[in-house]
Amino acid sequence: MSIVTVQLGQCGNQIGFEVFDALLSDSHSSQGLCCKRENEAYQASCKERFFSEEENGVPIARAVLVDMEPKVINQTLSKAAQSGRWKYGQHACFCQKQGSGNNWAYGYSVHGPRHEESIMNLIRKEVEKCDSLSGFFIIMSMAGGTGSGIGAFVTQNLQDQYSNSLKMNQIIWPYGTGEVIVQNYNSILTLSHLYRSSDALLVHENDAVHKICAKLMNIKQISFSDINQVLAHQLGSVFQPTYSAESSFHYRRNPLGIDWHVRPPLSGPPSLGKMSLNKDLHFNTSIANLVILRGKDVQSADVEGFKDPALYTSWLEPVNAFNVWKTQRAFSKYEKSAVLVSNSQFLVKPLDMIVGKAWNMFASKAYIHQYTKFGIEEEDFLDSFTSLEQVVASYCNL
Amino acid sequence: MRRRRVNPAAGARAGAGALPEAIAALSRSLPSGPSPEIFRRAKFDRPEATSALWQLLFRVLSPLPAGNALASIALEVQARLVKSALCSQGYPRLALAQLPEDGSQGSRELLLALSWLLARGPVPEQMLAQTRVPLGDEMTVCQCEALASLGPPAPHMEAEGPVDVRHVQWLMGKLRFRWRQLVSSQQEQCALLSKIHLYTRGCHSDQNLGHLSVTEAEMLRDPEGGQKVSGGAAHNLDLAYPKGLYFSCTPGMGPRTFWNDLWLVPRLLPGDWAAPLDPGGASACSLLSPLRVLLRTLEHESRRLEAVLAWRRSEPVFWQWMDTVLGTCAPEAPAAASQPTFLPWVPECGDGELELVVRELQTLEEELQEAVERRRVAWEAKARGCGRGPEWSAARQAFRETVEKELGALQQCWEQDSGPAPAHGPHRLVRREDGAAGDQDLRAAELIRTLRSQEACLEAVLRQLQGQCRQELARLAGALPGLIWIPPPGR
Repeated sequence: MSIVTVQLGQCGNQIGFEVFDALLSDSHSSQGLCCKRENEAYQASCKERFFSEEENGVPIARAVLVDMEPKVINQTLSKAAQSGRWKYGQHACFCQKQGSGNNWAYGYSVHGPRHEESIMNLIRKEVEKCDSLSGFFIIMSMAGGTGSGIGAFVTQNLQDQYSNSLKMNQIIWPYGTGEVIVQNYNSILTLSHLYRSSDALLVHENDAVHKICAKLMNIKQISFSDINQVLAHQLGSVFQPTYSAESSFHYRRNPLGIDWHVRPPLSGPPSLGKMSLNKDLHFNTSIANLVILRGKDVQSADVEGFKDPALYTSWLEPVNAFNVWKTQRAFSKYEKSAVLVSNSQFLVKPLDMIVGKAWNMFASKAYIHQYTKFGIEEEDFLDSFTSLEQVVASYCNL
Repeated sequence: MRRRRVNPAAGARAGAGALPEAIAALSRSLPSGPSPEIFRRAKFDRPEATSALWQLLFRVLSPLPAGNALASIALEVQARLVKSALCSQGYPRLALAQLPEDGSQGSRELLLALSWLLARGPVPEQMLAQTRVPLGDEMTVCQCEALASLGPPAPHMEAEGPVDVRHVQWLMGKLRFRWRQLVSSQQEQCALLSKIHLYTRGCHSDQNLGHLSVTEAEMLRDPEGGQKVSGGAAHNLDLAYPKGLYFSCTPGMGPRTFWNDLWLVPRLLPGDWAAPLDPGGASACSLLSPLRVLLRTLEHESRRLEAVLAWRRSEPVFWQWMDTVLGTCAPEAPAAASQPTFLPWVPECGDGELELVVRELQTLEEELQEAVERRRVAWEAKARGCGRGPEWSAARQAFRETVEKELGALQQCWEQDSGPAPAHGPHRLVRREDGAAGDQDLRAAELIRTLRSQEACLEAVLRQLQGQCRQELARLAGALPGLIWIPPPGR
C-alpha cells in the first residue's frame, strides 16, 4: 500500500524533505523497543509505503517535486542525496524559472494548465512503480502562489484521473501576521477548491507549531527548519505503520467537513511519558478522532476518556467516531508517544478569521485586479466565500 | 411414487455383500453422509435414524455454501426448510409434510425422499461440484452467484423518530469510502495476478495452461506457510507477504468459501491470534501449513470422487433395495386434488377436521376479498374526489410504460452487442498469447467490451434521470419566491 507524495512550492518541498528524512531515520532507529521480527515488519512496511527500491540499495522516495523556481528544489535534492541514506528520483522533479508571485490565479490558471501534462506524467510514472496505490499525499502551503494555486489544480486533476484513489492534502496555515498581503485571498481560494476535490485536509498552523517550538522545546531563534522538523515529526508519527482493527493503514474520510487539525504529540520527555488529556477537548465537538499510540505499554493504555459521548456530535456514536491505532514499536526514540488527529470544531475560529479578513479586503476590492488579470473573476471569489461559510456553519452546528 | 425400473440382470449379478457396499459408497460420496447402519434402520422406520437423515437432506437441498454456519442451525429449522424445499420441487408424498420436526419419527419417509432426489438428478456429483477445490484463479462472469448468495442479514435499524440527515450523509460518505477501497484493492489484486501469470510462464506441467495460478505459485514458494505464531505477535501487518495466499483468488464476484475456510483453519485453532500480547491464549498455536491443508483437502476430494464412481457402479443394487423399502410402506392416501397449495406445517389431524378447517379458511378468504374490494372502491372514489383520479392513474400508467420501454431498450441494446451468453459458473483465468485461445474459451477483451457497452447504457440512463431530478428541483425552488437556492458543493 504505497503513497505517492507530491511536494508543491517552496514550503511543500522543504517539508517534504523533512518528512521523508524523519520517516527513514525512525525506520532505521535502533531503539525500537520491540522484538526483531516486529522491527523488520515495521521497516518493510514503512519502506514499501514511502520508498521504492533501487539496485544499489538506496531507497528512492516515492515523490514528485514541483516548483516554479529552481532554487528550493535543487537544495532539497542535494540535501537528500548528501544524507546518503535515501534520495529522490533523478527525474522526479519539475521546475521552471519564473515563480508565481504569490498569486493564486497565476498558479491555478496559468502555470497549472500550461504544465499539466508534464506534471501528471511524472505522477503517473510514480504510480506505475507502485504495486498497489494507497493514495496521494500532497504537501502545500495556502499563502503563496505556487503551492496553493498549482496544488489546487493538481488535486483536481488527480480527482479526475485517479478517482478511486484517496487524496490527502497537507496544508500549511500561514501565520496570522504573515508577510504576504494577499495570503487570505490565496487561502480562501485554495480551501474552497480543495474542499471539492480532496478527500482529507490535514492542517498545520504555523502559529501553533511556532508555539511548540518556543514553549515546549525552548528554542530561542526559531527558524523555518525547526518548524519543519516539528511538523515532520508529527506527520511521521501519524504515517508510520500501525495496527488497527482493519489491519492496514487507511485514510479516514468524512463527507461533511474535511478540515483536520493535528494536535501536537502528547508525548513527554523520552523517559517519562504519561498521557494527559487536555480539557479543552470538551468544548470542541468532534466528528471523528483518531488516536495513535506508539511504544511501551501500548496495550494497557486507557483511552476511555476519548469515548465520552460529550465529545462528539449528537448524531454519531463514539464507537463510530473514535478509533485507536497502536503499535509496540517506538517512534523516533520516544519511549511512549501519542498523536491525536481530530476532525472537530477546533479549526472554526482560524477559518472564520481568515474568511473575515479576506472578505474585508474583497469588500474594498483591494488587489482584485491581480486575480482578474489571470482569469479568476469576482464570481469565483464569491463562490469561495459561500462554500467556506457553509463549512463554518456546518461545523458550528455540530 | 413410481417404482424405478431396474435391470433384473444387474441385480442378479450382485452378490450378498453388494448392498452394504453400495450404501457405503453412497454415504461416502455425500458430504457428511450417514453410516450404512442409519440407512438400514431407516428402512424399518426406526426413530434414531431420523435426525441424521434430516440433516443430510438439509445439506443436499440447502442453497447456502457449506460452512460452519450450517452446523449451528437448529434441527427444527432444518426440517422445516427441507419440507418447503421438497414441496417447491414437487415432491409427491404428503406423508413427509406431516412429519414432526423434532426428529422423533419418520426416518423411512426421509429415506424415500432422499432416493427421490437421487433418482431425479446427479446429487453426489452436484454436491461434489459445490465443494470442489479451485486450484486455478477463477472468476465468474454471469451475475447469478451474486444474486443467489445470501449475505448476512443487515442489522435491523430502528427508526426512532426523524433521522438526522447528517447521519445519512455520513453513512453515504462511509459507503463511498468503502467502495473506493474495494475498487482499488480489486485493481491491486488484478495487477498482482497479472504479474504472477506473466512471471511463471512456462512453469506449468499442463501445456494448455502454461503458467501457474496464485495457489500453485504460493505453494511452490512457501509450502510450509512461513510464520509460526508465537504468543503475542499480532498478525494483521500490512506486509507484502500475505498477499499471495491471503486474498481470495477470485477477482470477480463472491469469495470462494474454500479459501475462506483455508485461511480460517488456523483461526479455529486454540488461541485467538488476532489478540496481541495474550500469552495465555496463543501458546498452543502451531499453524497448519497451507500446503498440508491443501493436500488433505485434495485427498478428501479424491476419496469422494472414488466413492461417487463406486456408487454409480453399484447403483442398481440400491434401487432394488429401495423397492423393498417402498413396499413396506402403507399405501399412500389418494392425492387430494382439492389442495393445490398446502402449507407444510399443517398440524396433524383427522380427515374430517381437515375439511372443516379448509372450509373455514375458504369462507374467510371470501370475506377478506370482499372487504378489500370495498376498500379499494372507496379509496378510488376518494382519490378521484381529490381531482387527481383519472389523471393520476393515467400518469402512473404512462410511467409504467416508459419504464418498461426503457428497460426493454436497454436489454435489447445489450443483447445486440454481446454474442452468445457466457456460461454460468466460475471460469479459470489463463493468460495466453494473442490468438491462441480455443473455441470454448471466453476472451477477456470481448467480455470487457460487452461490460463497457452495458456500463455506457446505464450511465446514459443515470445522467438522464439526474438531469430530470435537477430540473424538478429547480422548478420547485423557483416556485417559492424569495428563496435562494445554493446547491451543495462538489460531487
